[in-house]
Amino acid sequence: MPIESAVPPDLPSRRKLALTTTIAVFAAAMILITLVLPAEYNVDPLGTGRALGLTRIAAPEARPDEPVPPSAGQPLAPVQSGPIGAYLADYKTDSTQFVLGPYEFVEYKYHLEQGATMLYSWKSTAAVIHDFHGEKDSARGEAISFEKKERRHGTGTFTAPFTGIHGWYWENPGGDTITVSVRSAGFYSGALEFRSDRTRRPHELTPLVHESRIGEAAK
Amino acid sequence: MRATLILPGLRRMSPRTRHRACLLGLGALALVTAVDVGAHGVSSKDGRFLQSLDGPAVLPLMYLGAKHMVTGYDHLLFLVGVVFFLYRAKDILLYVSLFTIGHSVTLLVGALGGVRANPHIVDAIIGLSIVYKGFENLGGFKSVLGWQPNPRMAVLGFGLVHGFGLATKLQDFALSKNGLVANIVSFNVGVEIGQMLALTAVLIALTYWRTRPGYLRHAYATNAVLMTAGFVFIGYQLTGYVFAK
Repeated sequence: MPIESAVPPDLPSRRKLALTTTIAVFAAAMILITLVLPAEYNVDPLGTGRALGLTRIAAPEARPDEPVPPSAGQPLAPVQSGPIGAYLADYKTDSTQFVLGPYEFVEYKYHLEQGATMLYSWKSTAAVIHDFHGEKDSARGEAISFEKKERRHGTGTFTAPFTGIHGWYWENPGGDTITVSVRSAGFYSGALEFRSDRTRRPHELTPLVHESRIGEAAK
Repeated sequence: MRATLILPGLRRMSPRTRHRACLLGLGALALVTAVDVGAHGVSSKDGRFLQSLDGPAVLPLMYLGAKHMVTGYDHLLFLVGVVFFLYRAKDILLYVSLFTIGHSVTLLVGALGGVRANPHIVDAIIGLSIVYKGFENLGGFKSVLGWQPNPRMAVLGFGLVHGFGLATKLQDFALSKNGLVANIVSFNVGVEIGQMLALTAVLIALTYWRTRPGYLRHAYATNAVLMTAGFVFIGYQLTGYVFAK
């Protein structure tokens, strides 16, 4: 029976085949070394990936980090004595919400000194991918995760294990638009919002106001 | 019976219409492929969807299977190699069926039986299948060995490897046991639909090319390029294997 995968009748000589195969291997090696490996793995032996800007695909340069705005006040570290952690200034409160289209994410983080505490409660209109984490001031960009799971809400207290920014990553897993709302009170000194469209925006925190009338009424 | 070209309608068209029809077909293929070029494997968005599944989702899984095939350049390159010298519809059907049987067996057994393999190694062997087919099309085995290893068995065997590759892509995600069989079978059906779509586009392009005088003259160079692409894919995957450690 004739073999269907008919090759052209004039077979190439072994010499020609060897040459063709060598050229194919050589061309493949050049494509790999100059283009594919730099772009995929940041392996760039000839420097072509850098010259062509391909290594940026494999290793995106970190964006220079802007400092967390100190606008919202002094950093607040507690002085612990027994069950009491005393602070030099009052705590602040915050209430905000985020609208997330399908696959969008937002990170929302407070700046807290080591040992400083906050109370928080957040709720989402649907389950979101969620990561409660912090980044040390000394090592920005390295997230240390405290809890990572899909959730619809979270409420609790948080004591910062190190000085840095602490907060949440929320991601819409797809489907409908989701709204996440957060309320918190704590000894934090600033809040930053990072969005999936690479924008970042500091949030205004509400300082505590003692209403003097309450004091007068007690007299 | 000889030289019954697939899509004989193309021959009846005027050269200009034929040219336009082919450009249109190629354009459509390019558009589909451009949607996520290079994203072989399953994109992160699709992956999150897979992981969120809890129960049968027939149509979405069929869509993902078809998308994987239409945008998976490794499977497409192999198919181009397979049909390159097949002129008769009967032969095309036979070879494509062998490939389909091969990859369906390992996709189902691998994904349902939980047989795990390193995806980089499987993909490197898929790269090897492209090189093999290109070399075979050059007449390499006949020239070097003096005889031709059975091309049907080769397609069946490499089909098994391609199916294993599909299975490892699915296994990268913790799929829920609920509806697993329905989902994997749907994915498999989608793969076949995608293969038919891709094959149609490939055959339109090849059929058009065969009507041109340069086809046989360029056949040698084309298959050498196919081999080169296979070698690139092997190197890419083996490097990935080394770095994934």
